[in-house]
Amino acid sequence: MHPVVHSWKAALLYLAVWVPLGAILGLLISVAGSLTALETAAIIVPVTVILAFVCLSPWYVCRALPLRSTGAGRLVGQHLLAAMVVSAVVVFVARIVADSLSDVRPGLDKRFAAANPVLAAMVAMIYLLSIAMHYVVIEAQTSRRSELLAREAQLRALKAQVNPHFLFNSLNSISALTASDPMRAREMCIQLADFLRTSLRLGERASITFSEEMELTRMYLNVEQVRFGRRLQLALDVEPACDVCEVPALLIQPLVENAVKHGIALLDQGGEILMLGRLVKEGLRFTIENPYDPLAPASRSGIGLANVRQRLEARYGNAARLEVEASEDVYRVTLLVPVRALPVRPS
Amino acid sequence: MKIVIADDEDLARSVLREYLEKEPGIEIAAECTNGFEAVKAVAEHKPDVIFLDVQMPKLDGFEVLELIDRQVAVVFVTAFDQYAMRAFDAAAVDYLLKPFGENRFRAALEKIRHRTDEIRPPELSTELKNAVRPAGEYLERIVVKDGARVHVIAAGKLDYAEAQDDYVALRSEGKTWLKQQTIASLETALHPKRFVRVHRGYLVNIERITRIEPNTKDTWIAVLVDGTQVPVSRGGYGRFNSLIGQ
Repeated sequence: MHPVVHSWKAALLYLAVWVPLGAILGLLISVAGSLTALETAAIIVPVTVILAFVCLSPWYVCRALPLRSTGAGRLVGQHLLAAMVVSAVVVFVARIVADSLSDVRPGLDKRFAAANPVLAAMVAMIYLLSIAMHYVVIEAQTSRRSELLAREAQLRALKAQVNPHFLFNSLNSISALTASDPMRAREMCIQLADFLRTSLRLGERASITFSEEMELTRMYLNVEQVRFGRRLQLALDVEPACDVCEVPALLIQPLVENAVKHGIALLDQGGEILMLGRLVKEGLRFTIENPYDPLAPASRSGIGLANVRQRLEARYGNAARLEVEASEDVYRVTLLVPVRALPVRPS
Repeated sequence: MKIVIADDEDLARSVLREYLEKEPGIEIAAECTNGFEAVKAVAEHKPDVIFLDVQMPKLDGFEVLELIDRQVAVVFVTAFDQYAMRAFDAAAVDYLLKPFGENRFRAALEKIRHRTDEIRPPELSTELKNAVRPAGEYLERIVVKDGARVHVIAAGKLDYAEAQDDYVALRSEGKTWLKQQTIASLETALHPKRFVRVHRGYLVNIERITRIEPNTKDTWIAVLVDGTQVPVSRGGYGRFNSLIGQ
């Protein structure tokens, strides 16, 4: 349904716009065809009413011919053709009215004929303007919808953020340390608090820098390091240029959490998590690799990955990628995010 | 009282050790860091109690439960949320939610001291597993005991299962494994689109069926890839057809 007919208010406003438009049209043809005020009104009122309805039709045409995916030639051709047809029909109707009135108003048909070109041009122009207006409205609606989608995905991500399993296991480690090593217990409390506080703070923002995300990841790994001890080894190789790149908040940390939960935690001897950050032509490429036991008891739950994929899609469409490869004993997730580097602030 | 502790995290084991050391008459027979070790330790030391983590390398806690002597008292020690633990409440096992205090730990120990000799039903592990399993996820593997060793059968490699009294005979890669479990509980744990109960006594991997031939008026025979013939009942024939969409 056309948005104008969604509410009475919008419909009345739309009709009100046609009062001055009709008046301008009338003024032009009355001058061009030397018509009296009454003659002008008799012709221009039905013309304006018809035009008001016809100018709602681009709603459907514009959606069938989206700006982004339609070729320029086709776009211009189709709309010009439509404008010419609309103009011809409106002028034809106006002429019928003028002809039928020429009995009571002698010579009206001839005088009106002089005003035909002006009317035709004006109608075509008004129609083309309405097409432009419709594109603006459609564009605004689309961007509002994708914003909504992105926000929803963000909320879901936040809810999934602090995994209760992680929290309870960490508290259990702290509980163990309070007896054997109170100083380390305190240290771990602080590390856990740092991680929770930072993820809450960063989670409020849609975008953060890659270095902020990696800082959060490091805080998370600090906590896990206490739980897993030597079983958790880390190797980090990030190009310094990645640091200032903008990335969606809390996108990478869940990937690292997956690597711990489904990789390291299910390996007797643990292993090394390898993280690579590179700037490539298409954007920022982040790779995380972890050893895993292909015969491990718990099946790998894809919820975390599905969540990341959804958020990427809501925000970047097809421009971002998430690839998962599982070889015999190595699990690799590669993330590619388009980059709009932050302006370098003068220090 | 003889105790075995099974948890892959050093610190998690140390809490248990700390609490246990304060109790009189306790002997910690073994500490294990994965499921295989836990099964082995129970067979070797014949403990009275095992404190068992759920998520461990090699075998998870439920799989360990399936493979150990059913008279050993089991206390699950886990960070699973309260909601999932309702199933544990209903079952005859105790559980400790990490982190747990000394009072809660002592209560669990008291419960075990005063319990009368009970033997867990063989379906218990499947029930617990079903309770904590997210909707839409099914058993990807089956663990069986082969003497003192543990054998893991991937669900995709299972040809069929046949009910034999209290056991199921599992046929996989040319070998047969016996496991104490009912065929009905195995059926609920496996993916319903990959395994079909063609007969009261038979659960078949649908990918292994090459054809179904009529036998008598109301029975059929399923011929498997390796030539094995499996009886198909009227109800089983209907289930098979609705599964392949005929």
